[in-house]
Amino acid sequence: MPGRESEISPGGPAALIGHGRRAATGPGRAVQTPGAFLALYRLVLRHQITRGRLALFAAVAALSVVLGWLVGRSDGDPVQDATDLVSAFGLGLVVPVIALVLGSAALGNWVDDETLVYVWLRPVRRWLIAAAATLAAATVAVPVTVASLSAMAALGSGGDSGVIVGTVVSTALGGLAYAAVFVAIGLLVRRALLWGLVYVFIWEFFVARAGAGAARLSINSYAASILADFSGVEIRLADRAIGTSYLVLAGVTALAVAFTTWRLSRANVA
Amino acid sequence: MIVDNVSKSFGSLVAVSDVSFSIEPGVTALLGPNGAGKSTLLRVMCGLTPPSSGSVTVAGGNPRTDAAARARIGLVPQQDGVFERDRLHDFVHLAAVLSGVTDPDAAVAGALDAVELDPALERPLGAFSKGMRQRAKVAAALVHDPAVILLDEPLNGLDPKQRRQMITLFHRLGEEGRTVVVSSHVLEEVERFGTRVLVIAKGRLAAQGDFRAIRALMNDQPLTYRIGCSDPRAAAATLLTEGVIVSCEIKGADSVEITTTDAAAFRRRLPAICSAASIRLEELSPLDADLESVFRYLVGP
Repeated sequence: MPGRESEISPGGPAALIGHGRRAATGPGRAVQTPGAFLALYRLVLRHQITRGRLALFAAVAALSVVLGWLVGRSDGDPVQDATDLVSAFGLGLVVPVIALVLGSAALGNWVDDETLVYVWLRPVRRWLIAAAATLAAATVAVPVTVASLSAMAALGSGGDSGVIVGTVVSTALGGLAYAAVFVAIGLLVRRALLWGLVYVFIWEFFVARAGAGAARLSINSYAASILADFSGVEIRLADRAIGTSYLVLAGVTALAVAFTTWRLSRANVA
Repeated sequence: MIVDNVSKSFGSLVAVSDVSFSIEPGVTALLGPNGAGKSTLLRVMCGLTPPSSGSVTVAGGNPRTDAAARARIGLVPQQDGVFERDRLHDFVHLAAVLSGVTDPDAAVAGALDAVELDPALERPLGAFSKGMRQRAKVAAALVHDPAVILLDEPLNGLDPKQRRQMITLFHRLGEEGRTVVVSSHVLEEVERFGTRVLVIAKGRLAAQGDFRAIRALMNDQPLTYRIGCSDPRAAAATLLTEGVIVSCEIKGADSVEITTTDAAAFRRRLPAICSAASIRLEELSPLDADLESVFRYLVGP
């Protein structure tokens, strides 16, 4: 009856169907082994690549190359023009949209198709799930965007090393921060892709470019500051100190993972 | 497992209302009509959602917050969704690794053997039949040797042979000393799970205890069945003449709905009566609406 002590013996059932099933989890301990992290990371990664997304990546890569080639053939300053193009089109649009598509689906798809239960109910540390999802989303988003945008930067700038390295670093760090934020949003709201697009286009693309105050609250502004520092070209509203930019992007990533962890621990799982 | 004064509300909707019980090792059936609150109660019992009030204790801990308590639970959720692109082995192996099992490969082999699935199946889970998916879910729930196993409508989508195998497995798990809770909305199904039953209706615990006593209580109420057969008019006439039904309604060329006040005698005598009248019996199924009326009767006004 209620109030009685449980009669489940601490050692578990007396007989087992198979072998090797003893859980390593002791009282009060949750699983946080590298093997568990790797299993979660691989699981998210397996579900990241779909035909639709591959088509999107190919289209982005092709468009980046074409735009880079067109800028490279123009009469202006190639370094200035290429940096502006990477900042506006690359960091302003490509990086957040690719990170959104992958990040919002990382855990969001599990919520939508009700498979989160297979991970959530396991005695695994919540931060492990959050970190694995973020890393898996970034594992796809960062190489795809870095490859596309660095090719664009190389073609547009005529091979300027400052623009290329700046593109690689800013895209990688910006992509990681965006991926972490969108993994959290995917867990927080239904139709995360739609809300994410609203955030990217309304906030990052328009509002944050309207004034210095709003730009301080924009991931794009800090990523663009890194690009500006490497390329030696001035970018409007992207004049943060390089150290601050690194710290803010790392901080946003860490905060987003922490928020996802917190959200997971309080989730109502179907 | 102890469920103590648990209620769960979603806004103004009360899904589970002040439910208390304890479950001992062995098989216990959780019976109730669709929408009665069984799935919500199971979700609360394994910590997937917090109760609005009351508490759940599994192996001395709260599964919502205590990883060690969660490690003792295996859940087979009702929803069909699985990681569609994963292979069977990957799906069960993941469950083992995330549970901290020391030898995942051996555990996977044992769990798949228990549900009689071939570990060498290479096609993704998305290409599995519903019955095979169901068994894959059971394997994932068993792989870490849980002391408590909760199964939400686990027989849905299984063919009769698979149902028999699954029920045998439940009994085996119960006999091994595990606490096995199996939910169902089908009275006839629950009869085969075991003798202990919890009846949930309208989110309340309507009855609990020995199935036979509850079944007898239910049998006193008029129950409606659908009979699929080769000659429904002749079947209905014969059953009325024999006095095992009180009313009937022909539902087409091969179906009739009947009402009986003695369900046990009706089910026992039906095959012989049909056989004697050379009527081919194809289907016998209780109608949920009437099952709900029984639950209403148990819950009271």
